[in-house]
Amino acid sequence: MDNKLSLELKHISKTFPGVKALSDVSFSATPGKVCGIVGVNGAGKSTLMNILGGIHQPDEGGEIIINGEKVVIADPKASTKLGVAFIQQEVQAFDTMNVYENILAADLNKWRKKGSFALDRAAMKKEAKVHLEALDSHIDVEAPVYTLTVGDKQIIQIARALSQGGRILLFDEPTSSLSDHEVAMLFSVIHRLKEQGYIIFYISHFLDEIFELCDNVVVLRDGQVVGKADISDINKEQLVEMMLGYQIEGSTHVRGNTLDDVIFKAEHISGEKLPRDFSFELHKGEILGVWGLLGSGRSELFNTILGIDKMVDGQLYFKQGGELREITQKEFYKHIGYLTEGRHYDGLFLNMSIGRNITSSKLDEFATKGLGILNPGKEAVEARKLMKEVDVKAIDENMKVSKLSGGNQQKVIIAKWFLKDPEILFMDEPTKGVDVGAKNEIKELIIEKAEKGTSFVVVSSELEEIMSLCDRIIVIYEGRLVGEVQKADFSKENLMKGIVSQEEKNAE
Amino acid sequence: MSAKLKRFASNNKTLLIMLGVIAVVFIILSLTVPNFATPRNLTNLLQQIAPIAVMACGATYVLVIGGMDISNPAVMAASAVVGVYYMTTLGGNLIVGTFVIILTASLLGLINGFAIAKLKMVPMVVTLSMMTIGTGLATILSGTRGLPILPPSFSTFFNKTTVIIILLLVTIVLDFILTGTKFGRKLYYIGNNARTARVSGIDSENLTMLTYVISGLCAGIAGVINTASIATARANMGPQSQILDIISAAVIGGVSPNGGTGRVRDAVLGAFLIVGLNNVMNLLAVSDYYTTLIKGGIIIGAMGISSYRQQQALKKGA
Repeated sequence: MDNKLSLELKHISKTFPGVKALSDVSFSATPGKVCGIVGVNGAGKSTLMNILGGIHQPDEGGEIIINGEKVVIADPKASTKLGVAFIQQEVQAFDTMNVYENILAADLNKWRKKGSFALDRAAMKKEAKVHLEALDSHIDVEAPVYTLTVGDKQIIQIARALSQGGRILLFDEPTSSLSDHEVAMLFSVIHRLKEQGYIIFYISHFLDEIFELCDNVVVLRDGQVVGKADISDINKEQLVEMMLGYQIEGSTHVRGNTLDDVIFKAEHISGEKLPRDFSFELHKGEILGVWGLLGSGRSELFNTILGIDKMVDGQLYFKQGGELREITQKEFYKHIGYLTEGRHYDGLFLNMSIGRNITSSKLDEFATKGLGILNPGKEAVEARKLMKEVDVKAIDENMKVSKLSGGNQQKVIIAKWFLKDPEILFMDEPTKGVDVGAKNEIKELIIEKAEKGTSFVVVSSELEEIMSLCDRIIVIYEGRLVGEVQKADFSKENLMKGIVSQEEKNAE
Repeated sequence: MSAKLKRFASNNKTLLIMLGVIAVVFIILSLTVPNFATPRNLTNLLQQIAPIAVMACGATYVLVIGGMDISNPAVMAASAVVGVYYMTTLGGNLIVGTFVIILTASLLGLINGFAIAKLKMVPMVVTLSMMTIGTGLATILSGTRGLPILPPSFSTFFNKTTVIIILLLVTIVLDFILTGTKFGRKLYYIGNNARTARVSGIDSENLTMLTYVISGLCAGIAGVINTASIATARANMGPQSQILDIISAAVIGGVSPNGGTGRVRDAVLGAFLIVGLNNVMNLLAVSDYYTTLIKGGIIIGAMGISSYRQQQALKKGA
């Protein structure tokens, strides 16, 4: 790697109609260092990335200097040419094609045999291998990509970036869909790239990752750089404070009163694959955590109980009229709310207004009995009330949901279910892809609601979160219940105990 | 007041644009095309527009949930032939015959809906098959010599005035159901994101089926109108190419083929534009070959503009 490699941003501002997304951002990056970029949603991270990627142009007066020369990044092509490469959150891959075709997809013309349209596949495989070896990866270049894990696909994305001459690598939330093991693999790859002298930027909501991986960190807030530091000089609390601009109280949910009776019981729930013979009880006003590793069947458990996936075996009991009675899935659905893991996939009506998203859970309330004629005025009033209750930051209830930040979108879904006010709320990763500030607000909302008597079943892969939020945690492994931990005994060791013993059993 | 006006304008952008375009086109045509602004041509025009407009209303329902029904003209012809067969060859009552037409079309729509919603078949394939079934049914029943002429009272009852009233009623009622009722709102939810609708506790199966029934019902009403205007029914009264007019009327009216947006009202105005275009080309004696070329170009243009605007909106949002 030549030692000329450098990147410097000077006084970058970006004004959108009505919003100053970035103002006077300056920093530089050093080869062989990983620079973390953190900030809450709307702090300007995406705008900054889009400027480096050539999607947006900075305002007059800003300068981007790459390898000592002032450059204009007019479009994404120019950005690639300058050696800037993105490794994105959503893995971009052609699933039905081979690994080597994926790696070299950007410039297939280069691989044409002279005077023919055929590709020189032998040379392509060789080239692809070189890039994979540079990453210390042993993925078979001829394997079709759909056979690979998400983690391997991520590696292929990196190899593709390198094959295009990428030397300034921007990782944008790369771990959000990876398992622990895959994250470890990705980190070792990034370490390797670092040793080879690349410039690496790492954007993540997971602060633990920032501390583990980065050498220094740039903090953005409201479009400004509010802090630059070596990672060894700060701790997590200081970082969060910089991001938010205020201190956060470490909120741990302590239940004042003792738990009421059992309101819901699931027995021997089995789906087509996962879960298997899963039983648990839920008390009124309880926040029950479901914890397990990625792929352990957490979302499948919810989907099976609620009838989104097929339930092969099992019974549900729900407290009605003072006693637990068996209940059908369809009937049960009327008493619950379900916040799914994929906000955009099955959580929101993206192209519809905030108001209509909120009222979708309880449309009956706004319609006349016989003909079902809607009352838009009443809808608007209720929607505004709920928006205020959960603090959705938006102009008004007519704004399209797609224009909101992740945190506010998540709050819209919460508002939607709070409107229905069900007895039980199932929440799958309620704070996924949400910034630190909104995360805390969502936790507060859940705790408040639980104190008023609503029961929650919450899946979260963040240990800290689930331990601070829940009254009791049940542990799922390979679709089975392998442990239950009470609030007083919360610790990583206790939660892992069930999983470890199950793994030992499997080994025998 | 002005804030309210602004609100109305932004909520009804498509309506205002469509009305503006129609007004401008109308003025230009009255000034330049001879015989355009005569009462005779205009009422004829309305009679031509009505069946397409009514079917565009049905198509709007199907498009809003993200479906597709290309069997409409064939279903229209088949139901008209069944009804006329009943009224002439079987000597049935004219009033009952009218309902036979509408019910036959609704039934064919129900079959579409059942196959798509319950059996999870692909809408395009199902309605394509229904198109050939409809045409086949109509051809068999009307035979080689065609069906006899209906008693004149049928056409006298469904005269130009009645047809215009029917068009108005269908437009108003279906527009209100789609935008003002729980049922209609659920269709928008499903079209916007069927998975989210499901998680929100909205049963999409029955509703999806219903939209195809409505589409069939509209084809039936169009069948009655067409039957009245030729006083009999023929297998070729709903040429398969007519589906392009219907779908493009809806799309020009702002109904997205991807589902989730659009209004019946605007689709009807779209039909005015599309059928009006045909009429003008006729008056100008443009050859049929060129008419199809120009029409195709206009449709692609309109869809291009709408998707361009969507992209712009997305960029602004980012």
